[in-house]
Amino acid sequence: MKFIETLKLAIAAIWAHKLRSALTLLGMIIGVMAVVVVYSLIQGFNTYVDEKIAGIGAKSFNVQRFNPLEDFKDTDTIAAAQRRNKDLTLEDYEYLKERATLIGKIGARARGTPSIVKRGDQILEDVFVSGATAAIADIENRDIAEGRFIVDPENDAAQRVAYLGADVATKLFPVGSPMGQEISISGLPYRVIGVETARGTVFGIPQDNFILVPLKTYANNFGGLIRQRSLYFVATSKTDDLFNDAVDETRFLMRTRRKLPLSEKDNFGIVTPDAITGLRDRLFGTIFIVAIAVPSIALLVGAIVIMNIMLVSVTERTKEIGIRKSLGARQMDILKQFLVEAVTLSAIGGAIGVTIAWIIGRVLTAVFFPTFLSLGAVFIAVGVSMGVGVMAGVFPAWKAARLDPIEALRAE
Amino acid sequence: MSDVTLATLPIEAALQQAQVNGQHRPTSLISMRDIWKTYQMGTEEVHALHGVSFDVNKGEYIAIIGPSGSGKSTLMNLIGCLDTPSKGDYWLNGKNVSEMDDDELARIRNQEVGFVFQTFNLLARATALHNVELPLIYGGIGSTQRHEMATQALKAVDLSDRVTHRPNELSGGQRQRVAIARALVNHPSILLADEPTGALDTHTSKEIMDLFERLHSEGNTIIVVTHEHDIAARAHRILSIRDGLIEKDEKIK
Ligand SMILES: Nc1ncnc2c1ncn2[C@@H]1O[C@H](COP(=O)(O)OP(=O)(O)OP(=O)(O)O)[C@@H](O)[C@H]1O
Ligand SMILES: [Mg+2]
Repeated sequence: MKFIETLKLAIAAIWAHKLRSALTLLGMIIGVMAVVVVYSLIQGFNTYVDEKIAGIGAKSFNVQRFNPLEDFKDTDTIAAAQRRNKDLTLEDYEYLKERATLIGKIGARARGTPSIVKRGDQILEDVFVSGATAAIADIENRDIAEGRFIVDPENDAAQRVAYLGADVATKLFPVGSPMGQEISISGLPYRVIGVETARGTVFGIPQDNFILVPLKTYANNFGGLIRQRSLYFVATSKTDDLFNDAVDETRFLMRTRRKLPLSEKDNFGIVTPDAITGLRDRLFGTIFIVAIAVPSIALLVGAIVIMNIMLVSVTERTKEIGIRKSLGARQMDILKQFLVEAVTLSAIGGAIGVTIAWIIGRVLTAVFFPTFLSLGAVFIAVGVSMGVGVMAGVFPAWKAARLDPIEALRAE
Repeated sequence: MSDVTLATLPIEAALQQAQVNGQHRPTSLISMRDIWKTYQMGTEEVHALHGVSFDVNKGEYIAIIGPSGSGKSTLMNLIGCLDTPSKGDYWLNGKNVSEMDDDELARIRNQEVGFVFQTFNLLARATALHNVELPLIYGGIGSTQRHEMATQALKAVDLSDRVTHRPNELSGGQRQRVAIARALVNHPSILLADEPTGALDTHTSKEIMDLFERLHSEGNTIIVVTHEHDIAARAHRILSIRDGLIEKDEKIK
């Protein structure tokens, strides 16, 4: 008996019991759907992170007080790091700037402070104000809409100038150009020198609600660059090939400056994009396993349901099996018939599951968060469903094939 | 072997003859030797057949009669290879069926035997045409030729205008004719019918028996189980069964 005949037969049998087939497949559909949705969320997240975070501007690394990967594992490591690690200082910055040979550009920044910003009767609360040096513009690839970024003399002289995020600019200056205008940040007057192009949101967090001022101005007016305002450096290497060497050199210089013996751990942190993606992979490795394992149980339940229904179907169709056998169907023909039926059934379930997952993915992408579904994942999902079908179908099919023709014919 | 059929001899002689013949390949279409069929009912053994021996030649038209429970259906199922004997030898077309495995038996059912049942045994969801095509599907015949052959077979039983009907859209007589077309479509060596008119009224029964007569005149070998004497009388030879044994084997034409 040709395969195409068997397939036609299977589809006819499934179609003959539409409602039952649909109910049988419910578990299967939900399982496949859940797996695929989770998978495309993670895929989408990865692509997103790669594009938005690691891919911003030139490849750069941070030098900061803590190394989150090493230091924030548990309360013990946090406590140890808090004792060991010291805040970075502007002297550290000058030291690196002078001595590093492989660093292309280096800039210094401080963690921001939510502040009240005013212009006339316009009051904005919780604008994220922080300090930066001139080099930050290039290193972070900042896109200037109007005016310019902070320059070195402004920083050296600790002038009160401000570079605004797009949201802040449009809210404070609904009409007219903000350039050269005065605004008040935490009660002190600043002159606007530039506005950044709108960046939108990353993970739902708005990116345009900030003000950057010269680093020294920030230190003078907001307090020393420690703790919540802690200083950190952002650096690039001379060429991309030298990136790892530049990181190593920076580490060596920092250790030398802080006179760390070989046996001692770094008392500062260097964070590279690789480390960030590495952390993400580690984090998502666990989420991935859980997120895939749980719906897999649904798949297993789905398989048992299919097996059960196939067994019922074999019992119900004993007479049919008898008739077919009496007309010359071999055991293999009957086995194939039921196995193909089970596999077709679950492949349909898989396909429906993937389709629903795809639609959910589109909706999620549109309203909430980007998702990504690769063709490979689709094939794997349908393939796994078919595998489940084989698992679920083989025993009932074997039972059907083994029926005695005359006994089967006598069934009602 | 002489032209005296074994079943007409006393049983001891038949058994002896069977042993002698056991060494040979019989030349007749069907050759059964000391066939037993025993069912185990709990601790009790039920012998549906005990030591049946007979031969059928090509082109014969045989009726099997006997009281209810005498073993007629059991015997037919054995001839049709739907069931296997507990003991004894059965040659069909010179091949020893008793030694065949499942696949070979399936092939015999497909190619050598056409079976007509009292209750038709058609697939309820399939059209007349598809029902007739079934043996051809399992015979591995391609769809074009299959369609051709099945249409032809339905024409031969005067159902050309009912090919797309499903069984529940056909009368009892028409259903049985579909079943006969299905039995004949593969041009089997032998047509077996177990009470083919048992579920039909007298008029329709007569139609079906006319059809059998025509098929026989066209050269088909036919064995019919029946309760009705006028149906048995149409055959050329009557096997009477009682208590699992052939009681009488008479040529009537
Ligand atoms: N599967 C079975 N298990 C046990 N006993 C059986 C089985 N099939 C048949 N028998 C017994 O074998 C004997 C012969 O049965 P069979 O069906 O061959 O009778 P029959 O001659 O066809 O009768 P009828 O004219 O009523 O159809 C009966 O006594 C029956 O009870
Ligand atoms: Mg019977």
